[in-house]
Amino acid sequence: MSEYTYEEKENFEGTKVKVLGPTYDEGKPVEKDDWQAKLGSRGDMLGYLRTALRYWYSKEWYGSEKRKQEA
Amino acid sequence: MSEDKVRSIDGATVELLEKARKENISTAFTRADEIKPCPIGIEESCCKICAMGPCRLPRSKKDVAKERKGVCGATIDTVVARNFARKIAAGAASHSDHAREVVETFIKTARGKAQEFVIKDEIKLLAVALDFGIAIEGRDIKDIAIELGEKALKEFGKQHGELIYISKAPLKRQEIWRKYGVVPRGIDREVVEIMHRTHMGVDQDYRHIIQQATRTALADGWGGSMISTDLQDIMFGTPVPVLGRINLGVLKEEQVNVIVHGHEPLLPELLVVASRDPEIKALTEKAGAKGINLAGMCCSANEVLMRHGIPCAGNFLQQELALVTGAVEVMTVDVQCEMQGLQSVAECFHTKLITTSDRAKIEGALHIEFHPEDGLDTAKKILKMAIENYPNRRHAVYIPDHSQDIVAGFSHETINYLLGGLFRASYRPLNDNIINGRIRGVAGVVGCNNVRTPHDEGHITMIKELIKNDVIVLTTGCAAMACGKAGLLTPEAAQQFAGSGLAEVCEAVGIPPVLHLGSCVDNSRILIAATAMVKEGGLGDDISDLPAAGAAPEWMSEKALAIGQYFVASGVFTVFGTTWPTLGSENVTKHLFEEYEEMYKGMWAYEPDHEKAAQLMIAHIDKKRKALGLEKARERVLFDMAMRRALE
Repeated sequence: MSEYTYEEKENFEGTKVKVLGPTYDEGKPVEKDDWQAKLGSRGDMLGYLRTALRYWYSKEWYGSEKRKQEA
Repeated sequence: MSEDKVRSIDGATVELLEKARKENISTAFTRADEIKPCPIGIEESCCKICAMGPCRLPRSKKDVAKERKGVCGATIDTVVARNFARKIAAGAASHSDHAREVVETFIKTARGKAQEFVIKDEIKLLAVALDFGIAIEGRDIKDIAIELGEKALKEFGKQHGELIYISKAPLKRQEIWRKYGVVPRGIDREVVEIMHRTHMGVDQDYRHIIQQATRTALADGWGGSMISTDLQDIMFGTPVPVLGRINLGVLKEEQVNVIVHGHEPLLPELLVVASRDPEIKALTEKAGAKGINLAGMCCSANEVLMRHGIPCAGNFLQQELALVTGAVEVMTVDVQCEMQGLQSVAECFHTKLITTSDRAKIEGALHIEFHPEDGLDTAKKILKMAIENYPNRRHAVYIPDHSQDIVAGFSHETINYLLGGLFRASYRPLNDNIINGRIRGVAGVVGCNNVRTPHDEGHITMIKELIKNDVIVLTTGCAAMACGKAGLLTPEAAQQFAGSGLAEVCEAVGIPPVLHLGSCVDNSRILIAATAMVKEGGLGDDISDLPAAGAAPEWMSEKALAIGQYFVASGVFTVFGTTWPTLGSENVTKHLFEEYEEMYKGMWAYEPDHEKAAQLMIAHIDKKRKALGLEKARERVLFDMAMRRALE
């Protein structure tokens, strides 16, 4: 990370933030990043649904709605 | 065409409009100059639903207090509400009939009867099967897919109960819908009921008519559109970030150019496969061309761009201009947003216009119908016709030298993954950065082009204003393509155009400040992303609590109104530009613009000045930030033991 240089700017509320500016890496994907291909088995897939998409496919999550009575 | 008027902010469009003008080719731009919008129709103050009229009911210039009623006694409020509801019915029907075609193809795919199509995305299949309450344990993909397809098809004709996807919305939102009686039953039933209720002498209370319009719009957003998106993802893959190029400069002079235009990605998917077939490649070489160049137009373009990186030739108002290049051998069109004027332009050149859906023909165009059973054969047949047509170019080809890199494919699953990784995927970083003030809020800017406003200008003016003010933008449809052409869909755009807080987050995650989520049916992805933000916590209990707003600055189609209405009914403040179709009635407009905020916590606004419209959205976002207690930036602090002890 040492090769990066940061510029200090203000955000919309006047708070100082650091941005990479001129040393920002170009981020165009050279090839398709098929991240789902990492999930090989049915078990992996269901595990992914229970964790990544927990809002719909698991009871183990802690969002705003979990604090309240279900509708 | 008047030359002194700015018609587009896009260089390629301006160059080809000039070519069309010199060659005396009629386009939407010239026809718009010849036809002034009807002053009564523009505010929907006209009733033509029975043969006692049409009843024109403009405001009297001499007597502004004069009551406006049709022959049957229908008030102007009833007339305007009916017209608005019918437009929403047409919009919802369009997305949902698209969905039906997708479901039917999906069932054939599951049964192995759709040539070349397979179930590509097992993860999404499992997810959607769970949504539909389908048992997945120990069952193979085919069985699950067949049951899912059959259950999805039943969503169209369900006479009672609720659409299944309603249960994916935030719980508080579901309560609001139930309170106001707008939870949709079957998609078809809601559309039919609008047509019945707006028939002569049926529903004559404007609020009651608009209630059914809302129910129908929700059947689109949380029904037809969502079904389309999900089943397309299962068949063709959930989009992931992919690099492509956009604008008319993607056409190639020395190649056979085939443009896929329309909305359903079924045939376009097979054209992609067929274009890589060795037989087709050999025929191309034999014809003296250096290859087949498949390019997209409108939402078909978005579909093949985000799944295959197929170049995108342009958006709605560029469809005729693509043919004006003289370089297009074949343009295929299926459904929605295809101008009949295409055929006249095609006749000026060697271009073959081919209609491919059993629901849409254009007089003079060739008709080669797509059926999933022999879809790949049809795709090859079309490509062979294009190759045979390549030597028939009879004009000098002119392809504007304008094209731009574009990163597309930000499905809500991919955004979730990019924010948190595979095993900790989460919207938490987005919520945290909204809470700490780096990101001010979220905006969905979607919709069409409209020849009554300079092409692409509304989208780009509004979106630049939003991202400059640290509002991250989610975009779809023709708006997304406008952003692509203007260079807003690459990560580098964050540094160039975004406010420093938003730029900092974009740099950290490696995303553009404007995220391309797909085609117009994919606005359902925005609903799910917003729901995920709510469920993640920290930004309220409902979509209406989020610092978020929506817009369609250049809208023109009935589909856009249906989209807007389901966003408003889902709790989103939504601003439309260009024109607004209830201005004929103060009461209907007040109902949608003010009373809806009380009822649904989301409301419409109309602002044709795009910068002012962006400021309205930012003001709304700030209002929501204040309601959440986020007026001042604050970092998320993780308490250590010492800090916890200090609390006690």
